[in-house]
Amino acid sequence: MSTFAFDGRPIEVQPGDTVASALYRAGRRVFTRSFKYHRPRGLLCAAGRCPNCMVNVDGVPNVRACMTPAAEGMIVKHQNAWPSLETDVLSLSQHFDFLMPAGWYYKVFRSRAMWHMVESPIRAVAGLGEAPGVDDITGEYEHAWWHADVAVVGGGPSGMTAALDHASRGASVVLIDDQPSLGGHARYQTPAADVTGLRERLLGEADVRVLSRSYCFGLFEGNLLGVLQPNPHGKVNERLIHLRAGHVVVATGVYESPLVFENNDLPGVMLSTAVQRLIRLHSLKPGDTAVVAGSGPRAESVAADLKSAGVRVAAVVDPSAIRSASGTQGVTGVNTDTGSIPCDLLVLCGPLVPDAGLLSQAGAKLVWNETSGAFLPTDLPASVSAAGSVTGAALLAAGITRRDASKRCFVCVCNDVTTSDLHDGTSEGFDHIELLKRYTTTTMGPCQGKMCQLGAIGILAGLTGRTMGATGITTSRPPNPSVTLGALAGPRHHPVRRTPMHEEHETHGAVWLDMGDWKRPRYYRAGSAGETESVRAEYQAVRERVGLIDVSTLGKLILQGADAGKLLDKVYTHRFSDLKPGRVRYAVICDDSGVILDDGTIARVAEDRYFISTTTGNLEFVDQWLRWWLAGSGWDAWLTNMTSGLAAVNLAGPKAREVLAKLTDADLSRETFPYMACRETKVAGVPSLLLRIGFVGETGWEIHYPADEGANLWRALMEAGAEFEIRPFGVEAQRLLRLEKKHVIVGVDTDALSTPFDADMSWVARLDKPDFIGRAALVRASQAPPRESLVGFEMNDDTLPDDGAPVVIDGLPVGRVTSARFSPVRKRAIGMAWVPVDHAADGSEIDIRSGGRLVKASVRQAAFYDPEGERLRQ
Amino acid sequence: MSFQLRCPQCGPRSVYEFRFGGEVKQRPAPGAPEEDWFRYVHVKANRAGEQTEWWFHRSGCRQWIQAIRNTVNNEVKRTWLAGEDHE
Repeated sequence: MSTFAFDGRPIEVQPGDTVASALYRAGRRVFTRSFKYHRPRGLLCAAGRCPNCMVNVDGVPNVRACMTPAAEGMIVKHQNAWPSLETDVLSLSQHFDFLMPAGWYYKVFRSRAMWHMVESPIRAVAGLGEAPGVDDITGEYEHAWWHADVAVVGGGPSGMTAALDHASRGASVVLIDDQPSLGGHARYQTPAADVTGLRERLLGEADVRVLSRSYCFGLFEGNLLGVLQPNPHGKVNERLIHLRAGHVVVATGVYESPLVFENNDLPGVMLSTAVQRLIRLHSLKPGDTAVVAGSGPRAESVAADLKSAGVRVAAVVDPSAIRSASGTQGVTGVNTDTGSIPCDLLVLCGPLVPDAGLLSQAGAKLVWNETSGAFLPTDLPASVSAAGSVTGAALLAAGITRRDASKRCFVCVCNDVTTSDLHDGTSEGFDHIELLKRYTTTTMGPCQGKMCQLGAIGILAGLTGRTMGATGITTSRPPNPSVTLGALAGPRHHPVRRTPMHEEHETHGAVWLDMGDWKRPRYYRAGSAGETESVRAEYQAVRERVGLIDVSTLGKLILQGADAGKLLDKVYTHRFSDLKPGRVRYAVICDDSGVILDDGTIARVAEDRYFISTTTGNLEFVDQWLRWWLAGSGWDAWLTNMTSGLAAVNLAGPKAREVLAKLTDADLSRETFPYMACRETKVAGVPSLLLRIGFVGETGWEIHYPADEGANLWRALMEAGAEFEIRPFGVEAQRLLRLEKKHVIVGVDTDALSTPFDADMSWVARLDKPDFIGRAALVRASQAPPRESLVGFEMNDDTLPDDGAPVVIDGLPVGRVTSARFSPVRKRAIGMAWVPVDHAADGSEIDIRSGGRLVKASVRQAAFYDPEGERLRQ
Repeated sequence: MSFQLRCPQCGPRSVYEFRFGGEVKQRPAPGAPEEDWFRYVHVKANRAGEQTEWWFHRSGCRQWIQAIRNTVNNEVKRTWLAGEDHE
């Protein structure tokens, strides 16, 4: 026999047991403590509808014990009670219930100071269960996307019939049922309809997929069902299925809700269907002496079931005659109009409520029906239907109790809302059902109104003299039942993109930087040196000898076709139709408000073929943007995203030509392969596209080549460069190198309001073109002087301000530093900053706030390194 | 929001596969008055009811499509590839 642990004690498990049934068999009657008053609570519905049996299972809080199959080795713990379920210190709070009327936060703590005093202790005891830590949950969660012609929710006789009916007409069907086996109420109620035949036919039907022990927590737009399937396989705790169905059949049946009277929340006060489940599904004897509150055939049938289980039925009492239950830890008797009856089990034949939440989410109206004593669904959309007792078919109103105002008549067992609270709320003016709900929090607990909705509407109707129908019903919203955050979050996988040279970087001691999904070397650890020294060594290699950087993360697009130039002329601010094959041009994209969206280079590789590079983070955007302006144009232009297919490196430094010459036959001389030229040629036998560009400000080539040669060509270049002490360099050195050249990084130095005119790049805007995206706005910008300007600056002392530090004039922050680094060539910190345009002249002095004080810097118009660009063109 | 759009190339797909591209607007001709450009860039009709919109099938064929969608109930009346006759 298997066992699980409850609060450290072993509990025996019988076949078919839930955690709740095993605990009940072991003699446990108190399962949890209530939310507000910490009153003992026992099994009420035994069907996953009420909040009374929520426990912590294997670290997961608020697990419904009655729906969870008991399994060997489970660690089950009580919640919301200290030190134990039997003796809970906080149950003292019920003696101070006069301090906690509806809306008590506002009534009791009337000053801000008072609230600050009590807030922290209140927060400490409020809530249900304890959220687990990130690593406390073992096992995984997964998501699945399914499609079906028909989804049937509910595995009772009506649901099974509907599923078979649709399957026989050739539809693919998914049937979702929250019980371990099909049959619905027929599994536990007498007289039981024989559903064995139905069940066997259904399970033999190839086109019907049955999800048992799974529940549908929401019906969303477009017939999308949220379905939760526990333990679908292996180590997966829960699977969330996004089920899209052509048609949805809601066959969710009815659920029973409690009767309202004094002490109706005592352990041992149980719904009739709960008692039947314990008897029929778990062979339990639910008590010794029972009183049945009900009348007619339902009460008779429950009484017969109790007798068959060996329970003595002391009386069957009409609900209207019930005044209160007595007892403290559990029910010991019932007080009626005609006297008291001792018992240890009080069985409630409560009102039956159609489980129409999904229908209501689909857009159905719920209309009160006096004969059924229920709100029944009408006006269903065409793609949704209802079957079985959820429609209200054959439903008869149950007898109800008198429900006087009392602090011990619980309407809402989730949040401890009493008839007294509802009376107070109504008399205080919250006399609309949606207002009363929000004021008292009735229907807002874990049961989502299943236990309390009808009772609350009845009490409000009685107090206002309105009918049930006129009082109306609160709105059902998903998720209902509740869903774990783990299931919603899904698998804990984060995609990582690695460049083809990733392992090479590892061997060189790369320290990684996350850029979107990409991993890029931030710098390479030089022996035992720290970041500053390592970056300096990389910087020196590029400035004095030669360096190699992996730029595979750049977006790489190929645009082909007779109209390719026309598209580029329209989208980019520059002109590209007149670019000669074999040439490269810097390229900026603006939107129609003139704001810079991205930059890169465009190489015309052949007459009808352009190679476009984008910044690492903006590839997806540029790809979509180009396709958008192409859409519907009828132009002959075709865009292909080559980003993953190509590796790319930038070889830069005074010795770059000598290194590259060792690996290619192409003439690399300044005359035949000048700055801003491009060639397709082989490098170390690898077909490559060479771009003579220089982001870092030295002689250099950007080499694009097939990704599967990524590591080979990298190694070949490193070997060829060994005699010049070549060094791989990372993003940090690159940022410093480009900053000395005042090369802008879009999105770092510019923001969502920067135009080329503000960013000191007016030369990119070719206003002589008749049209391009952004031209109208840029014409205007060219006529009105900008208010702010992006400038270079050099510190007057040896301070290094932070990126983002404010620029201050007359005590006011008027600009900000976008990038700042220590410049080895200037021997000072340099950077770029946005400043008011009247401070943008060369030599203007500005104040920058750094480390809590103002430091002086001077505006520099020219680049800090090689302002004439001679080294670049070497 | 969980409705489906029928991609003219891929068939009915969840809206999560698409990127919304806003209302379809007529871009002013070069040299149009500033007021026209202002309206084009900044002003949205924000219609409660049927409007023609851009959608990009990001996780599918990566084509821009146009759709007539009712913004009140997300009913998608028609979809077509941009530039195609859709009547």
